[in-house]
Amino acid sequence: MLVATDLVKRYGDVRALDGFTLSVAAGEIVGLLGHNGAGKTTFVEIVSHLVRPDGGRVTIDGRSPSAARGEVGVAPQHLALYPSVTVREHLELYGRLAGLRRAALREAIEELAVVLRLTEIMDRRTGRLSGGQQRRTQAAGALVHRPRLLLLDEPTAGADLETRQAMLDVVRQRAGEGAAVVYTTHYLPELTELRATIAVARSGRIIVRGACDELLRDLPGEVRVTLDGEEEITVSTADPAAALIDLLGRVSRPVTAVDVRNPSLDDLYRSLAVTHAA
Amino acid sequence: MLLDTAPRRSGVLDALHRIGALARHNLIIRLRDPGQMISYVAMPMVLMLVLKPLYVRALDQGAAQVATGLMVMFSVFAISMAGNAILSERTWRTWDRLRASRAPASELLIGKTLPLFAVMIAQQVILIVYGCLAIGLPVPPSPPLVLLAIVIWAFALLSLGAALATLVRSHGELSVITDVGALTLSALGGALVPLSIMPGWAQTAAHASPGYYALDMMQAAVRGDAAGIAPSAAVLLALGLAAGAFAARRLARGWGRGGLL
Repeated sequence: MLVATDLVKRYGDVRALDGFTLSVAAGEIVGLLGHNGAGKTTFVEIVSHLVRPDGGRVTIDGRSPSAARGEVGVAPQHLALYPSVTVREHLELYGRLAGLRRAALREAIEELAVVLRLTEIMDRRTGRLSGGQQRRTQAAGALVHRPRLLLLDEPTAGADLETRQAMLDVVRQRAGEGAAVVYTTHYLPELTELRATIAVARSGRIIVRGACDELLRDLPGEVRVTLDGEEEITVSTADPAAALIDLLGRVSRPVTAVDVRNPSLDDLYRSLAVTHAA
Repeated sequence: MLLDTAPRRSGVLDALHRIGALARHNLIIRLRDPGQMISYVAMPMVLMLVLKPLYVRALDQGAAQVATGLMVMFSVFAISMAGNAILSERTWRTWDRLRASRAPASELLIGKTLPLFAVMIAQQVILIVYGCLAIGLPVPPSPPLVLLAIVIWAFALLSLGAALATLVRSHGELSVITDVGALTLSALGGALVPLSIMPGWAQTAAHASPGYYALDMMQAAVRGDAAGIAPSAAVLLALGLAAGAFAARRLARGWGRGGLL
């Protein structure tokens, strides 16, 4: 669905993208990770046809970003809402710009209002909403026309639990319907919950790409066993379950607490940061 | 099932539909924050009434001078309406959101500026009608000619406001430029004091002010002098086209991430 090859973008002396290559299939959710300045937002801007790359190529369903604009839904990193305009009016605007008419537009808006828990606030001006409600409104604007490609740039930044859950639900739903999703975030557990494949960006290029489980396979987890409520034994291991069984067979004192932590995306992120910094 | 639910229509109908959606949206924004519109209509009305006796005693065509002069001056102030409307898209970060939609830049610009254009025309029409009813401005023999002059002037103002909005970095900067600029350009153009009694240097400098051409065109239109409006109308149209092309180019590219104070 989305194929980006060798993208290069310079801002003065800064190379925001430096050989950025990423493809996303229909129905796939790709979690795009990376520190600030890694190139995530520049990539989203290029795919949204807001910025032209200095080099490389992007196609969406075989077409250029310019030709495929109607097939893309974008929720930018920063809130982009009209404070004096209501939630419903926002969705009507973006729906109409995407070509939706009367009944189809009404249906799409009502459905999104339920899924993103906006029903109660549809006729309130966005300037009077909480941060989480504004985030959901922004996401609804990106989703209203059922785009084939969704670009969600940190859609849950600063959001409450309700917003985060609603966002994850709708992303899963749309991917299930066949949409390709690029989801940039700093909240790594969201990607585990979305069962997303992971792409890690660093210095303007993708340095790792793969399924979550594969990437985590060789990373160490942790087993912590407390004996008699006093002494604590901690073991770092790639196989926490086996290490726990082994540990329990060897200790003779009563075990009062056990804590097993499997490798997380945070561990992956840290490990990659160390590897590539070296 | 994922469907592109947008029904396909002919390109022109689609474009009109999108422009209509944008114009409606921008009209809503205008109507929910009408402060500037109201003040730029009410202030010249009050000033016309107060200054009328002075102008009528001092000048042969006093009523025409005070009505058209203040109308031109406060229509220049209305540049800030256009500027603020466009600059707000930048500070709210909504312009890029619109650019990412199916609508091309030309439709975004037309949809954005159409309501502003209508407001500017309405402001000038109201002031001319008020001038006739309350100030004693003679009823123009050719209302379509007056309307034509108003449309040309509104176009030039809108383009200047849009161009300005793409250059400034904050609403404060825009406010300083439009307030000081409007007063200077319109006063220099003869909107407050007739050019004929201004010093020689001012009469020469007046030709650099759009206000001069606007006043000349408006007074000719009010007299029903079709040939008389042509030279000034040509200057204002050229100015509007140049400023409009500049603004369109800047807006089509967006602002990127920098540039705001």
